[in-house]
Amino acid sequence: MKLRSERHGEVAVMELRGKVMGGPDSTVFRDELKKQLDDGIKKVVIDLGRVDWMNSSGLGILIGGLTTVKNAGGEMKLARTTDKIKSLLMITKLVQVFDTFDSVEGAIASFSE
Amino acid sequence: MSEHAKLVIPSDPAKLVDVDAFAEHWIGDMPFTDDQRDDIAISLSEAVNNAIQHGNANDARKRVTVVLRRFEDGLRIEVTDEGNGFDPDAVADPTDPENLLSESGRGLLIIRHLMDEVHVRPADGGTRVELIKRYHD
Ligand SMILES: Nc1ncnc2c1ncn2[C@@H]1O[C@H](COP(=O)(O)OP(=O)(O)O)[C@@H](O)[C@H]1O
Ligand SMILES: [Mg+2]
Repeated sequence: MKLRSERHGEVAVMELRGKVMGGPDSTVFRDELKKQLDDGIKKVVIDLGRVDWMNSSGLGILIGGLTTVKNAGGEMKLARTTDKIKSLLMITKLVQVFDTFDSVEGAIASFSE
Repeated sequence: MSEHAKLVIPSDPAKLVDVDAFAEHWIGDMPFTDDQRDDIAISLSEAVNNAIQHGNANDARKRVTVVLRRFEDGLRIEVTDEGNGFDPDAVADPTDPENLLSESGRGLLIIRHLMDEVHVRPADGGTRVELIKRYHD
């Protein structure tokens, strides 16, 4: 997995790339998310458009992120979920848990004031 | 007889990428669709994660053996650890509302959806999880 972050105003967009399969991936994600929250960020978009595939560790990383952001009083959205990730969210019923958007712009625009 | 390939790794999650590359390369010329290849890669990563974490309890001295076999209808994957095994039917349902926000517990559910067959069997000194993916359902 590769991870890159960008700021769009007060929104942090974290882009995951490649294969999200566990191992070192979750530490990489958690450290970067913590950095963003420590910087005062409350609105986070996870851009999944360039993920080749993810497994249950990847889903766990996203759940952990959601919990962490919520506990910090913020909001986290998923953007550009691929068909494969959508089907995993269906199988696991995590569709009920995540707000997902077809574009990063859509996710950014969705944040409440 | 069917052709096969074998890879043995220590119980180190950092080795997951090696297992993935090994399998991706070996099944390269098998007539799976791209979607099926992803199903296989995801399921293999789940089985190896489980063998490392649960079977071998992250003990780096214990090994995980991955065997890939082609047969007429598709691929059989065998992931063997040095642990005591488990009853896959006794695992908690991760889609239960009370488990929905858990960070773990979804691997077997995903494997069952993506592969055609899943078996857990005792193996000498450990446990073997077998996964079968056919070209056609
Ligand atoms: N190889 C294994 N050896 C022993 N127990 C296992 C093995 N694979 C899975 N399990 C058991 O099944 C449970 C569910 O596995 P899984 O669905 O992959 O979720 P997770 O790995 O996130 O806990 C594990 O928590 C573990 O108790
Ligand atoms: Mg697992």
